[in-house]
Amino acid sequence: MLEINLPEVVAEVTACCEAYERALVANDVAALQDFFWDSPQAIRYGVGEQLYGAGAISAFRSARVINFSAREVVRFELLGLGRDCAVSMLEFTVVVDGRVRRGRQTQVWARIDGAGWRITSAHVSHAASPDDTLDRFAESAAATLGLPLAAGHRPGVIAHLGVTAALAGQLLDFPLPAATEIAPVFTP
Amino acid sequence: MSFDPRTATGLEIAAHVRTGRVSAREVVATILAAIEETHDRLNAFTTVTAGRALGEADAVDALVRAGRDPGPLAGVPYSVKNLFDLAGVVTIAGSKINRDDPPAARDATCVQRLRAAGAVCLGAVNMGEYAYDFVTLNAHDGPTRNPRDPARSAGGSSGGSGASVAAGLGALSVGTDTNGSIRVPSSFCGIWGLKPTYGRLSRAGAFPFVDSLDTIGPFARGVADLALAFDAMAGPDPLDPVCAATRPPSLYPTIDDGLAGIRVGRLGGYFATGGAPVVHAAVDHVAAALGATRTLEFPEPALARAAAYVITTAEGGALHRERLRRRAGDFDPATRDRFLAGALTPAAWYLQAQRFRAWWREAVATVFRDVDVLIAPATPIAAPYADQQTLTFAGRELPLRPNIGVFTQPVTLVGLPVVAAPVHLPGELPVAVQLIGAPGTEGALLRVARSLEVAGTCRAPVAEMLPSPVPAR
Repeated sequence: MLEINLPEVVAEVTACCEAYERALVANDVAALQDFFWDSPQAIRYGVGEQLYGAGAISAFRSARVINFSAREVVRFELLGLGRDCAVSMLEFTVVVDGRVRRGRQTQVWARIDGAGWRITSAHVSHAASPDDTLDRFAESAAATLGLPLAAGHRPGVIAHLGVTAALAGQLLDFPLPAATEIAPVFTP
Repeated sequence: MSFDPRTATGLEIAAHVRTGRVSAREVVATILAAIEETHDRLNAFTTVTAGRALGEADAVDALVRAGRDPGPLAGVPYSVKNLFDLAGVVTIAGSKINRDDPPAARDATCVQRLRAAGAVCLGAVNMGEYAYDFVTLNAHDGPTRNPRDPARSAGGSSGGSGASVAAGLGALSVGTDTNGSIRVPSSFCGIWGLKPTYGRLSRAGAFPFVDSLDTIGPFARGVADLALAFDAMAGPDPLDPVCAATRPPSLYPTIDDGLAGIRVGRLGGYFATGGAPVVHAAVDHVAAALGATRTLEFPEPALARAAAYVITTAEGGALHRERLRRRAGDFDPATRDRFLAGALTPAAWYLQAQRFRAWWREAVATVFRDVDVLIAPATPIAAPYADQQTLTFAGRELPLRPNIGVFTQPVTLVGLPVVAAPVHLPGELPVAVQLIGAPGTEGALLRVARSLEVAGTCRAPVAEMLPSPVPAR
C-alpha cells in the first residue's frame, strides 16, 4: 500500500526544496542544474519554455539572466508518495520589471539510484492574476493624477487597491433599486 | 473625605470647583503633574498646554470667587486629539507633514464651546496618522500605550484620548470617529465613549479624514460627563457644512429617566459571529442587565462595511492628494500605501458605495421601527499587544489592523449614534459594547448607558497607576 507523507521523506524533500529555493534566489546555476535528474527524460516546463532533457534544461539555465532576489514563497505543500517519490507544489511572488507577479511551481522529486533526490519533472506558471490589471491601472492612473508610485510603495498600493476592487465588486453586484440616485444626498 | 482629581468624574470635579471646595488650579496642577509623571509609560500627550490650562483654571476660579456661574464643566480638565485646532499650536493630526504648518489661529469650535462651559484644556493627545488607524502605533510620535497593560495598544485612531482618560489624565477627551476611532479606544481602554449622530457636533477646526463619515465626540469615565460634554459642544455652526442647523435637545437633564419606553434588542447574525469569547460575553452581560431578549439583524452588514471602506479610501486619498504628490515619503508607512491606493479609486466604485449607503440608511430605518437601542460588540477582541500582527476571527487567522473595525465600521456608514459602554468582566481585559440608536437618539442611548452604570454592569475605573490624592477643603 502506498505510504503517504512518511516523515523522513517529507523532511528530506522539504530540505531539498528549501535548498533549491536558496539556489534560485541566488541564481546559482550550477546548483540549479544539479537538482535536476541527469536524464533525457527530465522535463521542465517554464513560464515561456518547454525543455526536454537535462541538456536542454542546463542550456536554458546557463543562458538566462534573472534576478529572483525578491521571490517569496507564499504557500508550500509537499506530498510524499511512498519511499522514493514526492511532489512539491508552491505559490510564489516575484517582482518582474518592478511589478509583483504571482506564480505556481510544481516539481516531482524521485530518489535516483546513486544520486539521491532529484527533480524529474517540473512546471512553472504565472497566475493570470487581476494584480496585473490593477498594476497597469495604478500606473496609468497615478501618472494621470501626477502621483508618484515609488517601486517600494507599489506592492502595498496594488494590494490595497486589490482589496478595494474586491469590495467594490461586491457592491456593484448588489441589486440596488435603479431609482437609487447616482449622487444621493445624505442626511442620517 | 479626600478628593482625587485623577479618579473624580467631570461632574464631581465641577461640583467641587463650583462650590469652592477645591480650586480649578489645584485640579489642573494635579493632572499636569500626573501627565508628566506617567508620560514615559503611556505616551498619550503630544503637546501639553500647561500655561493655557493654568490660565483657564484661574479664570474659572475668579468667576467662582466673584459669585458668578463658571459653567457646568467648571474646572474639568480635558484633552483633545491632536487633529483639533488649539490656538497657537500646530495641528499635526498625527503626521510629520503637518508639522510644517503654521500654528492654528483659533480654537476648534468644540474647544471654544468647552472653554465657555468652564472646562480646562490640558493639551493635545496622540493619534494614528491622519486617523487612518485602529492602534495608534504612530511612526512619528511613537505608540500610545494602554494604561490597563502598557504592553498593549490603547486602540486608535483616538488612542491618546482613550489612554489619557483611562489613566486619569483628565476627566474628558475629545476624539473623532469615522469608522470606529472613538469606539475602539473606548473598548481597549475600558472607558465610555460617545460617537454622536453624523452632523450633530461641529467638526470645524478638526483636521478631516472622510467628510462623509467624520464625527467628533467625547470620552469619559462617567455617563453624565458624556452628556455634559455633548451638551457643551452641541449647536449649529456655519463653519461645518453638515452640522445640523438646530440645536439638539440637552442630554444631561434626562440621563436618569430610566429605561421606560425604550425597546432594547441585540444585533444578531454578522454581529454575533466571530471575535473572541469575551466580546460576546460582554454583550450577554449587558443584554441580561437590560432584559434584552430579542435579536434583530441589519441587512447586508458586510456590504455596509465594504461601502464604508470604499468611501473611506476614496475620500481619504483625495483629501491627501497634494501631500502624496509632494511628500509621499514623509507619510507613516502604515498609512501611505492606503492613502495612495485611495487616491486612485475609480469614481464608479465610490459612487456605488454612496448609492449603497442611501439604500442601507432606509433598510436600517426599517429595523428601528421595532427597536430603539441595539447591543453589539465594539471590537472583535480586547486590547491586542502592541506588536501583534493577527487576530483570530471565526477560526481564521486574519491581519489585525484591517479587522479591528469589523463591528464598528458598518454602523458608521449611515451616521448612527453609538455609546461605547465599557464592560470589565472578572479576570478579563475590558471591552466595550456598542449601544446603537436611530439617528438623533443620543438621549435614549445615554439613559440606557446611565442605567447600566447605576447597576454596576458597566463602569470605567481609572487604571491602577498610583494617583496622588489632594485633600479637599
